Amino acid sequence: MITGLFLLALVAIATNACTTTNSLADTKSGAQLWGENCLRCHNSPSPETFSDAEWDVAVMHMQVRANLTTTEATKIADFLKTAN
Amino acid sequence: MKYQLNIFTLALALFICNVALAQDDQNTQQGYSLTDQQSAAIDYLKPGKSRFLLRGYAHSGLEMTSEETSFVGGAFNPLFVFRQSDRLLFEGELEIELEGGETHLGLEYANMSYLLSDAVTVRAGKFLLPFGTYVPNLHPAWINKFPTNPLGAGHDGILPSADIGIELRGASYLGNIKTNYSIYAVNGPQLNDGSVEAEEGGVLHYDIAPDNNKGKSFGGRIGFFPMNNSALEVGISGLYGKVGNKEGDYEDIAAFLYAFDMSYVQRLSSLRSVVDIKAQYAAANVDEAAFPEEDDPSELHSFDNSSSTWFAQLSIRPAFVSSKLVQNLELATRYSSIETPEGAPWEANQQQWEVGLNYWFDWRTLVKVSYRTVSGEAGGHSENEEGGSEDSFFIHWAIGF
Repeated sequence: MITGLFLLALVAIATNACTTTNSLADTKSGAQLWGENCLRCHNSPSPETFSDAEWDVAVMHMQVRANLTTTEATKIADFLKTAN
Repeated sequence: MKYQLNIFTLALALFICNVALAQDDQNTQQGYSLTDQQSAAIDYLKPGKSRFLLRGYAHSGLEMTSEETSFVGGAFNPLFVFRQSDRLLFEGELEIELEGGETHLGLEYANMSYLLSDAVTVRAGKFLLPFGTYVPNLHPAWINKFPTNPLGAGHDGILPSADIGIELRGASYLGNIKTNYSIYAVNGPQLNDGSVEAEEGGVLHYDIAPDNNKGKSFGGRIGFFPMNNSALEVGISGLYGKVGNKEGDYEDIAAFLYAFDMSYVQRLSSLRSVVDIKAQYAAANVDEAAFPEEDDPSELHSFDNSSSTWFAQLSIRPAFVSSKLVQNLELATRYSSIETPEGAPWEANQQQWEVGLNYWFDWRTLVKVSYRTVSGEAGGHSENEEGGSEDSFFIHWAIGF
């Protein structure tokens, strides 16, 4: 039962991933995405923590670890670079 | 004469003006030239696409139990992150830990990720398994609200933490609902057949390479964010694979593990606080088999090899009050429980309560003061192996960098 539900949901997501749009992410600002996504696991980092170049690495790392879409990661990185 | 003098005066003024303008022009040219040099210097210093970042965390503290009071060395976990290109990333974390008077060095994970598309990333190597939420997201000391792990989690727990294999992961949107997913193939858990240590018969061991059989374990996790502000995430994880040694009596024994997890983080303006709720239930079911008796290994006994563990955690931080002192405080509590198979030499049924007060110096540095009580029947994977009730008091610091 659990396995079946799991596989069904996985197929639905995988199918959607091929044709995905970031409709909701498109409407959100980088600051909003930064607050929503970072805070889920840890305190939201201060933009002053890293340089622009370092934010590129840190955000890409979080894109992988926290499962961010490229749109979300780009908006968050732009916000952090602008604000630092 | 007067006319000539005026002409001369005018010519002199023009000359002086011209010299001044020329000087200005020269200065300007020198200025532009200097800016070019600066630009060149900046270009020289501008990082390329290949970039490196050293991150990680460290922690230590004071632990007081009824038996002893000791400063503990904690651990230092350097994390190396290389961004090789816009699409290729490497992450590797070491754990350097002082335990029992010896320094232990371990590889937490080392893997590379390639961003195939906006929503799909492939990752290969040793990685934290996306099984539940605690190990992949919450266990680093600067993120964990407590100095200890919930029962069943951590390196000696009943749940997997890291393994070697390959994974597809990413996020996408189903309408306005964000989802994330992971699907992977790894070496998988290995079954202890009790031939060497009868008291461990039936235990699943994780994070061992090379594999003990040809079959790989397959698993994954899917998460949903039903709220538009992504405050709530619910997830389901699964992992299945054969766990017995190749060409042995346990060759066909398989294990199925699953977990449900949730996370709710919300800014509550009425309380001027951030409320953070985390919960996870996980179970491990292994096919029934007979293992050597602990007292007489020539005799076999079997048991229903099913284990489960869960935890629920609540923390509140008044981050939006005016007092700087108060806004850096965080109150947290966590309950966890573990149940391992009845009749197994490593049978345990324990519960753990923790209450803590944290002070945040910045967004990734804190001091944790917590009280823990553990009760119930002890066994393998449990906290106090003597069993019964045990109270402990902790003062730990943790820094992320």
